[in-house]
Amino acid sequence: MRKIILFLIAISSQNITSQELFVVTDPASNVPANSLAVNVMQSLFKEEMKSGYNYHFMPEVTYGLNKNIMFRASAFISNRSNQLVTEGGSFYTKYRFYSSDDLNSHFRMAAFGRYSFNNADIHQEQIEILGHNTGFEGGFVATKLIKKLAISSSVSFEKAFDNKPDYPFPDNMGDNATNYTLSFGKLMYPKKYTSYKQTNINVMLEFVGQTINENGKSYIDVVPAIQFIFNSQARLDLAYRQELLSSMVRSAPNGFYFNLYYTFFDLTK
Amino acid sequence: MKKINKINKVRVIVASIVLMFSIKSNAQIVKAEIRATGLTCSMCSNAINKQLKTLPEVVNVETDLNTNTFTVTLTEGNTLSPKVFKEKVEKAGFFIGTLVLTAKPETITQSTYILVNNNTANGTEIQFQVVDKGYVTEKEFKKLSKSYKNVETYASNNEDDFHIKILN
Repeated sequence: MRKIILFLIAISSQNITSQELFVVTDPASNVPANSLAVNVMQSLFKEEMKSGYNYHFMPEVTYGLNKNIMFRASAFISNRSNQLVTEGGSFYTKYRFYSSDDLNSHFRMAAFGRYSFNNADIHQEQIEILGHNTGFEGGFVATKLIKKLAISSSVSFEKAFDNKPDYPFPDNMGDNATNYTLSFGKLMYPKKYTSYKQTNINVMLEFVGQTINENGKSYIDVVPAIQFIFNSQARLDLAYRQELLSSMVRSAPNGFYFNLYYTFFDLTK
Repeated sequence: MKKINKINKVRVIVASIVLMFSIKSNAQIVKAEIRATGLTCSMCSNAINKQLKTLPEVVNVETDLNTNTFTVTLTEGNTLSPKVFKEKVEKAGFFIGTLVLTAKPETITQSTYILVNNNTANGTEIQFQVVDKGYVTEKEFKKLSKSYKNVETYASNNEDDFHIKILN
């Protein structure tokens, strides 16, 4: 029953300027007010310390309360214990506090916060509250859109707690980190719009990094992605994440993302 | 005494409602042309399109995706104010760059409209642009603030009055 509820909570969301709909980073823009977006995020990462692949299934729902505030609930399901197990969930909120828009361009800033819980074993130095650690994250994101190009950058503080009930956070590891991201997205197709039905294609390149505050251990990953927008309402992402640099223990840094999104516009209608 | 007061109140209310409706039938926005800012993607444009269509007074929305211009046709006898378009576009997460309204001439005789130019249009319909903050781009607003510095009400940014420039 719990699984079903979490699953329902978790089928999740988003809609913004599509070039900004990055795979790993959330931009400063929000989902439209009164709209619900569902997202099913799947990832398959190669295990470094044992054979096989680590599969994560992450359904999400995102709701736009008003033009500036959105909420998101996610569930984390993975195969780490050799069968699909619901390991935890997450609540996320974002508040857009600055917007400066012009024809075909904008600059926006937002603050965000996330709280996650997880009962899985702690098996790496990387802190990842999206599917691995119990903890919280808070930070800022700024996004600039210039015609067909979107550039977004974020900085956040992330802290891990014990993965209750069975896995306390190890004493010999740093439990808090600084995260930073830099993302680029470009609309490639169409060159000229003819209708809402037209499929849009975006390409993206994201850099995602983390430094454990206590000991300076860090990693930087690159995530190239291709994104298809169908009927101006549904979205499909294919992405690959590759470690560029790392001085920390990570269980499965390299792998694929496969995301499906759908936006239900204006629920109050 | 009390009873009479009540009846009088009801009469006043009924009369004012009747009056409101009779005014409105001659004073209404027929069409709105909205150019939105801050977007270049069709998914964003669709968010605005869907927001506009939630208004029962909207008959049709035509979109030019390349310029993000929405041409909104409205029902006969509607009582919409320009504010509603701003709210809808902002709900979708964007802003208005220009708002040009086509209306029956009586519309702008309402006290909420303040003319900033002297053009007097003749004809069955007039076309005007709303030039207040939030209805033009930020750059344009800065420029206009200088041009309209002798229009006292312009700088006060009152949300319920609309400064308009007649175009035809």
